Amino acid sequence: MIKIPYSIMREIYDHMESAYPHECCGLMIGTWAEGERVVHAFRKCRNLNTERAHDRYEMDPLCQLKAQKEFAGTPWDIVGIYHSHPDHPSKASQTDTDRAFAGYSYVIVSVQKGIVATAQSWDLNEAEKKFYEEPLIIDGAEGDGK
Amino acid sequence: MSVTVRIPTPLRPVTSGQAEVKMEGATVGEVLRKMDAQFQGFGERVLEEDKKNVKRFINVFVNEDSIRDKKDLDTEVKPGDTISILPSIAGGNCSSSACRRGL
Repeated sequence: MIKIPYSIMREIYDHMESAYPHECCGLMIGTWAEGERVVHAFRKCRNLNTERAHDRYEMDPLCQLKAQKEFAGTPWDIVGIYHSHPDHPSKASQTDTDRAFAGYSYVIVSVQKGIVATAQSWDLNEAEKKFYEEPLIIDGAEGDGK
Repeated sequence: MSVTVRIPTPLRPVTSGQAEVKMEGATVGEVLRKMDAQFQGFGERVLEEDKKNVKRFINVFVNEDSIRDKKDLDTEVKPGDTISILPSIAGGNCSSSACRRGL
């Protein structure tokens, strides 16, 4: 399960809508305990894949390096990755699965015609090399939760 | 004085949850091979089978510099340096086999 405050999720959605029709990505920072990840902050990262940005992303590792350094020695850590799927469902693709690491939540958001449509979170089962959907709780969500 | 190895969340299960480990060594390779000797399963997640290269989808930095821009595992480290291990994060909606091959 991953819990994200609505205020943070809305900023992540804004990032995705402004990046449309390209995929965008970022880091979710927070705490993890007993299978529950709680997000307290996020960091936007650059998508280095500029040639196929409409259907691929490659996160700038310097973004991870900076966040890792920023939160070292604090109770917060990188707990998840978010990225958008422009004009495609928020399901994890085979490419997402191939490149995933167990231990992070992967939040994928479908952006249809520039507007956020659906969001789902995925957790990798490393032994099966398969993603399973996990509950995504948006705390303080307004309206339909988007 | 040792170098600090920063461990990303996905690798914490093999370091007993430690986010940072202090280790001695003159090169990145020496440090990572010592990590492998100390933490079972570390090497198979970070290093190629021959232990002469870092896995393709793992990035290793010494302070702010990628070792791929230096001398890979032969990159020298000095006391006080920080080695950061970072999973290469990528994906996307591209799902066809041709697309996945980069066509």
